[in-house]
Amino acid sequence: MKSFEYTITDPVGIHARPAGLLVKEIKSLAGSAVTISKGEKKVNALKLMALMQMGIKQGETVKIEVEGGDEEAVAKKIEAFFKANL
Amino acid sequence: MALDYRKCAEEIFSHLGGKENIISAAHCATRLRLVIADNSKIDTKALEEVEGVKGLFDSNGQLQLIIGTGTVNKVYDEFLAVTGLTAATKADVKAAAASRMPLWKKILKTPGDVFVPILPAIVASGLMMGLVEAIPKFWPAFGSSDWYSFLDLVANTAFALLPVLVAISAARVFGGNVFLGAVIGLMMVHPALINAWTVGNYAAGEIPTWHLFFFNVQQVGYQGHVIPVILAVLLMSTIEKWLHKKVPEMIDLFVTPLCTVLVTAFVTFTIIGPVFSILENWVLAGAKWLASTLYGSFVMGAIYPWTVVMGLHHMYNVIEAGMIAQTGLNTWMPIASAANFAQFGACLAVALKVHNQKTKAVALPSSLSASLGITEPAIFGINFRFMKPFLCGMAGGAVGALFGALFGLGAPVYGVTGIPAIPAVNNVPLYLVELLIAAGVAFALVWFIWKEDKPEEKKAAPAEEAPAEPMPSVIRCAAGEILQPCKGQVIAREQIPDETFAAGILGEGVGVIPEDGIVIAPFDGTVTSVFDTRHAVTLEKDGMEVLIHIGVNTVNMQGEGFTAFVEEGAEVKAGQKLLGFDREAIAKAGYNDTVVMLLTNSDDLEGVETGIAT
Repeated sequence: MKSFEYTITDPVGIHARPAGLLVKEIKSLAGSAVTISKGEKKVNALKLMALMQMGIKQGETVKIEVEGGDEEAVAKKIEAFFKANL
Repeated sequence: MALDYRKCAEEIFSHLGGKENIISAAHCATRLRLVIADNSKIDTKALEEVEGVKGLFDSNGQLQLIIGTGTVNKVYDEFLAVTGLTAATKADVKAAAASRMPLWKKILKTPGDVFVPILPAIVASGLMMGLVEAIPKFWPAFGSSDWYSFLDLVANTAFALLPVLVAISAARVFGGNVFLGAVIGLMMVHPALINAWTVGNYAAGEIPTWHLFFFNVQQVGYQGHVIPVILAVLLMSTIEKWLHKKVPEMIDLFVTPLCTVLVTAFVTFTIIGPVFSILENWVLAGAKWLASTLYGSFVMGAIYPWTVVMGLHHMYNVIEAGMIAQTGLNTWMPIASAANFAQFGACLAVALKVHNQKTKAVALPSSLSASLGITEPAIFGINFRFMKPFLCGMAGGAVGALFGALFGLGAPVYGVTGIPAIPAVNNVPLYLVELLIAAGVAFALVWFIWKEDKPEEKKAAPAEEAPAEPMPSVIRCAAGEILQPCKGQVIAREQIPDETFAAGILGEGVGVIPEDGIVIAPFDGTVTSVFDTRHAVTLEKDGMEVLIHIGVNTVNMQGEGFTAFVEEGAEVKAGQKLLGFDREAIAKAGYNDTVVMLLTNSDDLEGVETGIAT
């Protein structure tokens, strides 16, 4: 398992659009199970609804975990996505 | 990105199954409205894909393409250029849609269609004219005052030049150029012609005549006429439309109007006019004969309003003058009064019975004007339009006229009917009884027989007042249906003005261009989250996960202008209020307020389709 933490810088947090983009990005990296957690809550990153329901805001830190597949590469790509979009 | 209007129009046209398949085209604020001959020839799918077309649906025999404010008119202009169709008003499109109506119905409908738009003018004038002309009957000094002559001028303008109003309106009804229509109308009351109201003062030989080819045309105007004017404009519009098709575009602008006016004028004065003057003479002779007998009066009282519709009633001055010269007593007046007062009664009954506020507003002043002897507003505006009140009026007129003849009512004056004639009649109490009978019979008949015919209002009203009216389904899949979440125009997902939504990244769905600021539940289900910023909500039902998102980038408004009516976890019923939003605030903040509804897990569901169910 590979994991990293990220603090959201986007002023509106993970709202509908970035969440959608994130799900799309993760879908394109098939082969790994990705979860995103904030505090106690942990969701499957492929579940848009669940992701949006977390209501992740600017300044909050989330933990991303990648399990299976090419964990290293997938985690890198997701991290890059977060940095570029969130 | 600016839309290429020409390209858009051409693409739309290419999917419509050829020019023959398009009966007419018009547009409203947002939609291109087409009447299509054969819907099976059009490629609906392809039409939806045309850039600039935000959606389409088929309603009331019209194919409506949603294009958008400020754009639709430009696309429409290009569409006309591409197809070679002539501009049609919305009314024309409706007319084309209604063209399967039987001919006799269409003919009876025409005077009404022509008169309805000009009602404000004739209702005002009719009422004023009735009052102005009534006052001197009770107060003779007023008749010679400057005020009288001034008010009379103001009041009778619309009637003296009625053919102009009729012609303009008729041109619109028949799809001709309204300015050419105005020319025809003006020509028919040209000051160089003898006024039709005063032609009775001329001896037959005194009327100047044109000799055109083998026609001898009396130079008499058409003041007070209606039917000849409508016929003339119908002819004009037909010629004009035909010429537009045949004449090369280069010379169309001067050849078409020139030929149209010339031919119409010639035919009007040589054929339409004379045919009508022959008809008029027959009617006159017939009326004179009828009025001289007891039962004839009964018949005349009934058919009198028809002669008003034909515009022949002003000729009756001749009969009245003749009677006074012969016997000193005008016995025509009681017949005309009964007929007119019956129309008053019928119109008053409509005014009191009708629920439609617009009709009521016309009927009340029209009936007043009719009681003063000016029946055109009542007849054309109300009675003839609904037909039954007109027929009831005929019955009242017949009975009233019979009563008048039975008791030998009459007056030594002519040119007045109804209330203004009271001071002149030979037996005031009996005359009042006659008026009461005529109006009473008509009123009672209308009251009991006539029913307000209101299919249109019925259709329109519930949509206005009932939020409970079920919304159409806009997303369907194996798991169930999702209804429209907000009042307004539904647009395809691809047309949502936001790339992410439009691309379907968040799932399949639709947009709604909102008409009000309320988002309602699209099914019976559970609210799974309400965004802190209250601009979006998620719901769940039977495995369908739905996101309803108000506007584009409205998250930046941080909840300002948004209200949440529900909380996370709430069980809601379809149609229940979820969120409220202030459209003005969104516009002020510079965002688009399209309501986006997406089935976010559409990838995992089967048989997903979007758009209003057909």
